Amino acid sequence: MIDSAGLYKRASEPLLASSPLQSDPAPPEGGEVLLETSSDLGTSSDQLVNFESSLEASNKAETDEYARLQLRIYLLTLIVTAFAASITAIVFDLFSAISLLVGGLSGLLYLRLLARSIGKLGKSSNSLGKIQLVVPVLLVLVVTKSPQLELLPSLLGFLLYKPSLIIQVLLESKT
Amino acid sequence: MDSITTAASVVAAGLAVGLGAIGPGIGQGSAAQGAVEGIARQPEAEGKIRGTLLLSFAFMESLTIYGLVVALVLLFANPFAG
Repeated sequence: MIDSAGLYKRASEPLLASSPLQSDPAPPEGGEVLLETSSDLGTSSDQLVNFESSLEASNKAETDEYARLQLRIYLLTLIVTAFAASITAIVFDLFSAISLLVGGLSGLLYLRLLARSIGKLGKSSNSLGKIQLVVPVLLVLVVTKSPQLELLPSLLGFLLYKPSLIIQVLLESKT
Repeated sequence: MDSITTAASVVAAGLAVGLGAIGPGIGQGSAAQGAVEGIARQPEAEGKIRGTLLLSFAFMESLTIYGLVVALVLLFANPFAG
């Protein structure tokens, strides 16, 4: 009995000794380090992709903000031009109002070309374009050649984009 | 319009455009340099930088336009022509 128990004990010792070895889940340290490094690489590449996508999204949002600013300035210029033309038509005559309206619309075109030149700056060109300066030259040439249009109201109408810019700056500073 | 008035008007037109474009040209160059550097350093603020650049360029370039208008008036609608 004792012998058999001793035999049993001796027979069970290797089983007891071998079972913890087999059930030990701890892998060698080197493998664990390698696994951690590879998982870190995967996480960092995911983070890089997420960072790039968020950067692209923020750039798109900033471009949209620039487009919205342009739209606000154009709308303000149109409103100021219409207001000034109506006041001129009431106080002075209709031809002065038409001259002012022509000048205001050419100022709007000038502002559009200037905004396009600024939008290209740093992307496809390194200097500001000068194409927008053609607009006042053409305005003065057309006004001096046309007998119905007057020079001074059209020049004042051309400069009506400045009050709209000042209004835009004031509105931005308030908000 | 006599020849002296014509010559003086042409010279004055050239001086108005040439001298009037010096200051805004320097200012626009430095403003564009600063804006491009700012966009390169902080691309997420591109919209705000471009918006501020649009406002400042519109005010700066109006100085050039003043000289241009004076030159064009002297050339095509001269008030001193007899």
